[in-house]
Amino acid sequence: MARYIKRHSLQARITHDVFAVSGILLFLTGLFVFIPPLADAAPATTVYVIRIAHRVIGFIFILVPIISAILAPGGFKHYLSNYFRRWNKEDITWMKKFIPYMLAPKKVHMPNQPELKSGQVVADGALMLGAIVMAISGLFLVFGTWFVDLSAGLMVFMRLLHNIGFIWMIVFVIPHIYLGAGIFQPYRKTARLMFGDGKVSESDALYHWGNWAAEEFEKGEKVVEEDD
Amino acid sequence: MAKLAFYFDSSRCSACKGCQAACKTWNSLPSPLGQDENPFTGSYQSPLDLNGDTRLLISFSEVAGGSKGVEWSFGRRSCFHCTNAGCVQVCPSGALAHDEETGMVRVTEDKCIGCQYCKYSCPFNVPRHYGYNDKINKCTSCLDRVSHDRQPACVKTCQSETLMFGSRDELLAKANERVAKLQEQGFERAAVYGGNELGGLGLIVVAHHGIESLSLPANPRISGMVNLLDILKPLAGLGAAAVLAGLGVSFLTGIGYERHKLRYDEETHDIIDDETNEVLAHFDFDEEE
Repeated sequence: MARYIKRHSLQARITHDVFAVSGILLFLTGLFVFIPPLADAAPATTVYVIRIAHRVIGFIFILVPIISAILAPGGFKHYLSNYFRRWNKEDITWMKKFIPYMLAPKKVHMPNQPELKSGQVVADGALMLGAIVMAISGLFLVFGTWFVDLSAGLMVFMRLLHNIGFIWMIVFVIPHIYLGAGIFQPYRKTARLMFGDGKVSESDALYHWGNWAAEEFEKGEKVVEEDD
Repeated sequence: MAKLAFYFDSSRCSACKGCQAACKTWNSLPSPLGQDENPFTGSYQSPLDLNGDTRLLISFSEVAGGSKGVEWSFGRRSCFHCTNAGCVQVCPSGALAHDEETGMVRVTEDKCIGCQYCKYSCPFNVPRHYGYNDKINKCTSCLDRVSHDRQPACVKTCQSETLMFGSRDELLAKANERVAKLQEQGFERAAVYGGNELGGLGLIVVAHHGIESLSLPANPRISGMVNLLDILKPLAGLGAAAVLAGLGVSFLTGIGYERHKLRYDEETHDIIDDETNEVLAHFDFDEEE
């Protein structure tokens, strides 16, 4: 028998997964507007359908986390509190060691962390900030072309913001996938957290979030035993 | 720079709107035909601005005419076929491009994806869109006619030689001569528009009451934000490549690394390496309590 901690609820996983899949689809469909040769190579009707799909998926991307937050206000509050927590020395040490660790995980050992690592606070926080910028600028672009007549300056600014947000997202999404999907060797099996049953093994929990895991084992409320 | 160009002389225009009608006819653009279907706008200018069905419009302005009282200043509102065209710069699908032979801004409607970026990048606010899929509607300079050695529809129908189409250099020279003559005749504010603006326009305007009378911007410019957009694309590629390269190195250095299993002992409050039994961390929960 092995011990696991239930880390993410079903609702949190569904929210994350719909958000992630819609984000990837937005990235792919957005490329047809961002890279002119791509749109040039495809038939206009196809590109038009892709563009409309981009907008429809955009609404899913925006609405899903909002609906999720409304359905579980307590969970949302807890989620936010993790991002606005007070940092300690271990958090700062973790950040300082991050790049050396990424390049030499066999030699560099990271300090224990709470439920959300300091690196997650920065990287995931940056992702959320990027997503908010993309959502707001995207809404302006949709409403400005479909429903209301906005000034040219505002529309160009929103497009600029959308493009900056796109670059911002690229920089933070790729490492997020690299770590979250467990491509990086020490992060193997982490995909299970969001795309599986939401449970983390005892060993992985202690490795990634030592302080949090210790507290959870002491409390025992979220600890389950399963066959290896 | 455009090799061919339109020429519009406001001093000759009588605002008959024949060009406007010819444009609609040749390009099969719909127009309300029933009685009172065109709403009264308070002006002879109809419609009030370009729209999804109107690519060419004769504008009406009143100008103080000295001893003559009020005079009309009629203008041509349509695409200027700029050499440095903001619309071409931002078009993501290749629907807008400079025609190699004439230098005019060509429209390939089939390629238009309806993003409307052109509308917001045009210093003259010219492109309009129509239909459920927001296809672009703007002056094409009747390239379908021009390629068969025919004049654009608007030029062909103009009876007063207000509109001409031909070699840009020749028409620019003609415009300068005309302005000099108009100034001799007392139109002190007469000016040529389109000679150098945005790298040279494909529509040369003789404004006999000055360019302000036609509401033309004195110094049209493409927004700096549009130019910034061009920088962002290679920057995005560079950013993605740098991140992927860094993660590639990270992946290679992580190959073969097998983490030792860890376990937690609730009695001692220790994190223990399961293989070496080494205590890696100890928590003082009791003391905290």
